[in-house]
Amino acid sequence: MSFLELDRVSVGFGPAGNRTEVLSDINLSVEENEFVAVIGFSGGGKSTLMNLLSGLLPPSSGEVRMAGNKVREPGPDRGLMFQNYSLLPWLSVEENVALAVKSAFPKLSKSEVTDKVKHFVKMVKLDHAGDRKPHELSGGMRQRASLARTLSLDPKVLLLDEPLSALDALTRSELQDQILNIWETDRRTVVMITNDVDEAVLMADRIIPLTMGPAATLAEEFVVNMARPRDRHTLNDHPEYMRLKSEITRFMMHLNKESKELGTTKVVPMPDIRPKDFSPPSIGPRFSHKSKQPTSAA
Amino acid sequence: MADSIKDKIKYGLLKGIDVSGFKVLDPPVRLAFGEEPRKQVGDIAKYMILPILFVLACLGIWTVMGPNHKTKSGEVPTPAKVWTAYEDNARFDERQQEKAADFIVEGAEREAVLTATTEELARLEAEAATLAEASDAVAATAKEETEALLAPLRARLDALKAEHEAAEDRREAEMNALAAEIVAGQAQPSALVDLVRENEILEDEANDAEDVIETQIKDILSDPPAEVKAAQMAANRVADEVQHYKKRIDILTKENRNVKEAEYLAKAEEDRAQLVAAEDPKKAVREAKSIARNAERAEDSKTQTYPRTATIFWQTKRSLATVFVGFGLAAALAIPLGIMCGLNRIFMACLTPIISIFRPVSPVVWLLIFQIIIGAFFPDPEKHPLFVTLNDEKWFGWIGNPLAFLQTNPAMIFSACTVAMCALWPALVNTALGVSSIDKDHMNVAKVLRLGFWSRLFKIIIPSSLPLVFAGLRISLGVGWMVLIAAEALSSSDGLGKFVWDEYQNGSSQSFANIILACFVVGIIGFFLDRIMIFLQRLVSFDDGSATA
Repeated sequence: MSFLELDRVSVGFGPAGNRTEVLSDINLSVEENEFVAVIGFSGGGKSTLMNLLSGLLPPSSGEVRMAGNKVREPGPDRGLMFQNYSLLPWLSVEENVALAVKSAFPKLSKSEVTDKVKHFVKMVKLDHAGDRKPHELSGGMRQRASLARTLSLDPKVLLLDEPLSALDALTRSELQDQILNIWETDRRTVVMITNDVDEAVLMADRIIPLTMGPAATLAEEFVVNMARPRDRHTLNDHPEYMRLKSEITRFMMHLNKESKELGTTKVVPMPDIRPKDFSPPSIGPRFSHKSKQPTSAA
Repeated sequence: MADSIKDKIKYGLLKGIDVSGFKVLDPPVRLAFGEEPRKQVGDIAKYMILPILFVLACLGIWTVMGPNHKTKSGEVPTPAKVWTAYEDNARFDERQQEKAADFIVEGAEREAVLTATTEELARLEAEAATLAEASDAVAATAKEETEALLAPLRARLDALKAEHEAAEDRREAEMNALAAEIVAGQAQPSALVDLVRENEILEDEANDAEDVIETQIKDILSDPPAEVKAAQMAANRVADEVQHYKKRIDILTKENRNVKEAEYLAKAEEDRAQLVAAEDPKKAVREAKSIARNAERAEDSKTQTYPRTATIFWQTKRSLATVFVGFGLAAALAIPLGIMCGLNRIFMACLTPIISIFRPVSPVVWLLIFQIIIGAFFPDPEKHPLFVTLNDEKWFGWIGNPLAFLQTNPAMIFSACTVAMCALWPALVNTALGVSSIDKDHMNVAKVLRLGFWSRLFKIIIPSSLPLVFAGLRISLGVGWMVLIAAEALSSSDGLGKFVWDEYQNGSSQSFANIILACFVVGIIGFFLDRIMIFLQRLVSFDDGSATA
C-alpha cells in the first residue's frame, strides 16, 4: 500500500444544479520517500489539490489516506509550504519557526526549542537574518523562512505548493538546489506543485500532469529515470532530460489546445504585425549564439 | 566610526519622529545633520514657517476683530487677554497650593514660614501703600484733566436744559391760554390737541438733545485714561497679594491643623486640672465631657486638609482621570466583545441590533440614565466604601493615596460611565472588523500547526487585529474626551466641562477669557491624547504602519 493516497477524490463548489467541479476522480498514490511533482496550468485546481492533501479542504467524494489512515484535518505530519509564504508578519523569522516547533513538539524545553529553531534557520542559510521581520526580507528569504518553518515540524510528507513560482530565476535555482540538498540528506516524501517543466524534471522522481479545469484530473504520469544527484549544469546535455522536457511540454501544450477547443471562448485572430526594428546598426562582433538559445529551448 | 554613531543618532531620531507622528520635525533634524541643506531649508520654509505665519495671521485677525464684537459678557477677549487669564489662573492655583501647605506645616518649619510670610507682608504693605498713593495721584491729575474736559460739556448741558425749560414753560402758557379760549367758546378744540401733540414732539426732541451730551459725559467718566487704569491695576495686584499674605498668616497662626490640635489639647489639659479640682459632682461630669470633646476635636484636626477651591489645573487633572477611567471601561468591554463578534457570526448577529440602536444615542441621554441607575447604588455617597477608600488620605494608615486629590464622587462615576458608553462603539466595531478580516492564509497556518484555541487567539488573532483595534481605540479616546466635557458641564462633575459651565454662569469680567482658555486647554489635551494613541498604534502595526496609515 502506498504512503499517501488519493482515492477517486472529487471536489466541487456551489449548490446542486449549479455545481462547479474543480477536481474530479483523482487517483494518486505516492510511495514513501518519493519526490512527486504535479504540473499544471495556473487556475487549474493545483492549490485545491494541495489543500486536499494537507487536510485543509475535505473532499466532496472519495478519500484521502495517509499511511492507511483517512485524513480528516491538517496536521504537522503533512508540512504544507504555502505559495505566498504565509509568515506571520508580527513575528521575526526565528519566532515564526519557534511557533511551529512549539506546536509540533510541545514537550521540548525552552533551550531545546531555541536549538531546534537555530538549526533549521541555519539549514536554510538565514542565520544572519533570524531576528528580522518578514517585511524586512526579500522574496527568496521569506520563502526560505517558510521552508525552515515547514521543515521544523519534522513532517513525514512535505507538501510544496508552487514554492518557487513567485521568485526570480536566479533565486529560484538557488532554492531548488537547497530543497534538493535537504531532501537528499534527509529523505522524506515530497509532493510539489509547479508550473515549471524544467523544475519538475530537475527535482522529481515522477511527474504527473493535471489536466485543464474545470473538472481537472490527473493524466498519465512521466517517470524521471535519471540518477541523483542531478547537476543542473550538465543536465542540458542529458538525452533523457531533453526527451522528458519536450514530451511533457508537448503534452501540456496539447492539453491547453484541447481545452481551448472544448471551451467556448472565441479566439480573436491577431493581426499579423511585426515590430519595427529600431536597433542601431551593430558595431563589433555579434553574439549570435545568445539569440539562438530560445529556439533550442523550445 | 564617528560617522556611523552620528548616523545612528540621526536615524534613531528620524524614526522616533516618524513613529510619534511629528513629521514636521523631520527637515530640521536632517538639516542639523547636514543632509541636503538646500532642500531642508526649503521644506522648513514650506512646512514649518508658512504654517506658523498662518497661525500668527489668525491670531492677528482675532486680536483685531475680537474687541469689535460687543456681547452681553463684554467684548470678545483678545489672545493677550486669554493669556492674562491663564496667568491669573496659574497665580490662583499657586496661592491655593501655598495655603494648603500652610494649613499642614508644623513645628519649627511653621515658625520659619510664618516669619518669612510676615516679612513679605510688611514689604508688600509698604509697596501697596506707595502704589495706592501713586495711583491716587495719577487719578487726581487725571480727574483734573477730565474735569477740564467735562466743564464745557456740563456748561452746554446746563444751558440746553435751561433753554428747554424756558421753551416748555412758554408752550405750557400757550396751551393754557388756548384752553381758556376753548372754554370761552372762541377757538376750535382740535387746535388744542394739535398743540399738545406738537408739545410732546418738541419735548422728546429736547430730551434727545440732552441725552447726547449726557452720554458723552458718562462715556468720559466711565472710561478713565489708560495710565489711570494701569496704576489702578498695579495697585490692585499688590493689594491682592497683601490680602493673600494676610490670609496666609491667618492660616499659619490660627487655622493650621497642628495649631488647632495643640489648642484643643491645651483646652483638654485645662479641663483636666479643673476636673481634679472640682468639688461639685455636676461640674466634674461637665469637665469630663469637655475633655472628651476636646480630645476628639484634637484627633479630628490632625488629619484635616485645607478645603481647596477648584482651579483649572485641578479640573484638568480630574477630567483626565475621568476620561481614562471611562476609556478603560470602554476598552475592557469593547475588546473582548469585539473579539467574540469577529470570531463568531452568530454572536455578531446577536449584538448587531444592540450596537445599531445604542450607538447613535446622545451622550446627554446616557448621562441622565446613568445618573438614575448608578445613583441608586450610592444612596449615601459620603459613607459608601468605594468613595471612602478612594478619598482616604492614607491607605491602611500609612500608604499615601495618590488618588485622594481627585475627590471622587458619584458625579465623576456618571461622567466616566457616559464616556465609556459613547467610546465603546468605535473600539467594538473596529475590533470585530480586525478579528473577522484576518488573512485566510494565517488561519491556514494555524490549522496546519494545529494551534489550540488559546494559542490561536493570542498568537494569531490578536496580533493580527491589533492595528485595527488600536485604530478603534484612538477614535474611542477622541470621542470620549469630547463627550466628557459635555457630560461634566451637564452633571456638574468637577472637570474642565464644569469649569466652562461655572464661568458661563458666574459672568465675571474674566469669564469669557476663561472659557476661551478652557477651549484651548481641551484642544491641546485632546491633541496629545490622539498623539499618544497614534504612537501606540504605530508600535503595534507590523508592516511599517501602511496597514493603518
